[in-house]
Amino acid sequence: MNTCSKCGNQQIIIQKKHSGQNLCQECFIESINEKVLKDTRKYKLLEKGDKVLMALSGGKDSVVALHILNSLREKNIIDIVAVTIDEGIKGYREEGIEIAKANTRTLGIKHRVVSFKEYFGRTLDEMRGQDDTRQDDTRQDDTRRQGDTEPRHACTYCGVFRRWILNRVAQEEGATKIATGHNLDDETQSILMNYLEGNINNLIRIGPKSESRDERFTVKIKPLREIPEKEIGLYAIAADLNVHLAGCPYAGESFRREIGEFIKELSRDHPTIMYSTLRGFDKIKPILKKELTPKGNTGECRRCGEPSAGELCKACSFLEGWE
Amino acid sequence: MQVKVIFGEENLTEDVPEDYTIKELLKKLEIPSETVVVKKNEAIVIEEELIQEGDTLEIIKVIFGG
Repeated sequence: MNTCSKCGNQQIIIQKKHSGQNLCQECFIESINEKVLKDTRKYKLLEKGDKVLMALSGGKDSVVALHILNSLREKNIIDIVAVTIDEGIKGYREEGIEIAKANTRTLGIKHRVVSFKEYFGRTLDEMRGQDDTRQDDTRQDDTRRQGDTEPRHACTYCGVFRRWILNRVAQEEGATKIATGHNLDDETQSILMNYLEGNINNLIRIGPKSESRDERFTVKIKPLREIPEKEIGLYAIAADLNVHLAGCPYAGESFRREIGEFIKELSRDHPTIMYSTLRGFDKIKPILKKELTPKGNTGECRRCGEPSAGELCKACSFLEGWE
Repeated sequence: MQVKVIFGEENLTEDVPEDYTIKELLKKLEIPSETVVVKKNEAIVIEEELIQEGDTLEIIKVIFGG
């Protein structure tokens, strides 16, 4: 009979194929808490006195990250303020917002809900609508783009505008770190996607902690970076957390999803593949970064004042394109 | 033997043979096991868990892709 590798309990809830470890509910929750806090120390993600802006969608990853980081807040090591971004995805985001509110209320954490509409004058649905009216009907591949008039994927807009808002809200709140719920699946997908697309600038930015030379960018941290997505889902259920379990309606269109399915398929017969992808990447990254980091200083976007390599930051170049 | 299966909004009654596992049930229902957590009679179980007559199985989708 399978018993918990730590305490001998016969009711196990996970058999970790990559390590051979079996864990009961209590020991599994404890092991994830320990792993996340150990990684937080190992990668120096947090320092005493940090004010952390938690990017809280209400989904399992950010809610789990919030609850684990809250243990540091309870010990007065850090302070946390949470922000939920309402991108304006009708029929999807509303429930996540309510769940995010409920979690922060339970924990007594300050929470803000900010929206694309409020900061950019339009929702993600409207951005997509604007693009649709600009396309010709023969478009087949939504990921193709040749110049500014070609349509982009919803995830491209969402990523750019979310990053912009997170950085702006971090400044407004005086936050010293921005924490996100990125997990092991997300990271290995990003490594593979950027490599396959030849996007070396983005590839060398992947890591547990952002390392921008520009102080105007608040440092971003990923405390769950080495936890597989499935284990985060299991943690959320095992710890009986209130999480939003639903898929973004735009996700089905993305290249990330294709890559994610490919990695999942590989993982069935090779359960360590995500760990080895991450470990291998982390080893070569310092060399890539040293050799390939673009030279030159970051300037300022002439429209919004945020740091930008060009005259306009990415968010403002989209906005100007629609005007 | 018969078991009750709850999957999202769906409430199903499934006929399964003796010594059937959660893994086999997920395969029968065409649900990828790496995307769900399963509770048997309200307790989380692993996919090798055997199903018994009258069990209530709740399949909770935790991974949505994207």
